[in-house]
Amino acid sequence: MKAAASVLDRLTLNAPLAVQVLTGFIRDAVETSGTAGVVVGLSGGIDSSFAAALATRALGPEQVHGFLLPYRTSSPESEADARQVALHLRMPFRVIDISPMVDAYFATETDADPGRRGNKMARERMSILFDQAKRLNALVLGTSNKTEILLGYSTVFGDNASSLNPLGDLYKHQIWQLSRHLGLPEKVVSKAPSADLWPGQTDEGELGFSYALADEVLYQLFDLGLTPAEVVEQGYDERVVQRIVRLEQQFRFKRRLMLIARLSGSAINLDQEIPRD
Amino acid sequence: MAEPRPTLTLGLAQLDSRLGDVEANLQRHLDWIASARVRGVDLLVFPELSLTGYRLLHLTSRVAMPPDSAILERLAEAARPMSVLAGFVETSVRGVLYNSAILLSGDAPAHIHRKVYLPTYGIFQEERFLRPGKRLGLANLPWGQAGVLICEDLWHPELARRLAVAGARLLIVPSAGPGRIGAGDDPASHESWEILTRSTSLLDTCWVAYCNRVGWEEGSFYAGGSHIVRPGGEVLARAPFLDEHLLVEEIDLREADRLRWRLPLLADERSDIEGPEEAE
Repeated sequence: MKAAASVLDRLTLNAPLAVQVLTGFIRDAVETSGTAGVVVGLSGGIDSSFAAALATRALGPEQVHGFLLPYRTSSPESEADARQVALHLRMPFRVIDISPMVDAYFATETDADPGRRGNKMARERMSILFDQAKRLNALVLGTSNKTEILLGYSTVFGDNASSLNPLGDLYKHQIWQLSRHLGLPEKVVSKAPSADLWPGQTDEGELGFSYALADEVLYQLFDLGLTPAEVVEQGYDERVVQRIVRLEQQFRFKRRLMLIARLSGSAINLDQEIPRD
Repeated sequence: MAEPRPTLTLGLAQLDSRLGDVEANLQRHLDWIASARVRGVDLLVFPELSLTGYRLLHLTSRVAMPPDSAILERLAEAARPMSVLAGFVETSVRGVLYNSAILLSGDAPAHIHRKVYLPTYGIFQEERFLRPGKRLGLANLPWGQAGVLICEDLWHPELARRLAVAGARLLIVPSAGPGRIGAGDDPASHESWEILTRSTSLLDTCWVAYCNRVGWEEGSFYAGGSHIVRPGGEVLARAPFLDEHLLVEEIDLREADRLRWRLPLLADERSDIEGPEEAE
């Protein structure tokens, strides 16, 4: 497909400048909140590895606290990759097994399907990260990228919950580019992205299309403002484009946390849009 | 009136403001004034809304002040004999709020420009909280006449043109321009700004001093890259991107006159051309 290469080319960033801006973002958030650093859940995947790499550059590795939060069915290879990243970045890390907490709940919820179980694990991890952030006087570093936010491919109040997210305006293609620029281990950069919700799961297998394709379509829809029909005209599979459009619409609620019913005329975030800073 | 001294040492204070904290920002201004004094600065320019921060939303009314407020008097007093331009939320006698820049110069009456074009699109929400200014004026500085335009005002080139036609040799443009980056060497946002400032200095045959801020507000950064453009479009000096910086250069306002003799665009300017009708 001829158009494809040029679309991804347009997402290519000036990597040193992007890293300078994003490390400035992390430093500013930590300084203005008066906290001592960040905590980040390390899955062994590229997003959390890249977020941790930015944070260690921004704050120094000792201010970045990694947490490996495996469940008993999680892939041992993921955990090994997460350890390798933490060692590579010279940041402190701990391993906390979430199996006892998750299993205690599902002992009486025996009908739960893999989706519910995966969501519960994501929220268990979130709960631990916020608790550890409290203990360490730190902020929770978000690791959701623009592609998965737009596709709603996350657990609401789970992996999409954070205090600050340096990755949220980067498509997956850009995360790959910047991760290579920062010299993250090639094994971590090039492996198939996976939420590790069940053995052998991959994001692209579950979504039904590749991240490269999703990036191209989303960039043209969301950033450039093309209509779905105009995107299809570029030569993309109409069913895939329609599925991406549907996902983007269906899961918008995940990107607008705290939808508050306005009664008073001075509702938080509506009448009173007070900046966070 | 004494013949104006045409050369001045111009300082651009590319600083980070603290959102909603006027007292802390005033202190920063005083620190920068002290640094500028050491460098021999005659005219020190701060960015848009430098005393209040930019993305105020519902904090706007809480940081508003009248032009004769104690904060601005302390600023003028500390700067003397230096001239200083700072940005603030102005509240009028009637209680109307403006995005204003005040130019304080010796014992002359303060020159205030109220931002004319309030961007209200994309991430910008100015018209929800502020009202647009309705007039342009010239500041009579010891070195000649200058005009002030705030950020978005420069994107409507008829304003700079009117100031130049009226006699401005120097356009001062305080800004809080959100940064964007792409594949280029410079932030993409800066590339747009330099096209504007350089075209303005060429077409309006005047100096342009663009002072942008740095720092983060609500997940959006300001790119810095403040710069001074000679009449004709050459960038004389540019501050770095992203970091605070005091840019100091000596400039000669007679350069504008010399260019105007060679390139008489303003002398040739016509206001009697008719048609076509504006489309709806």
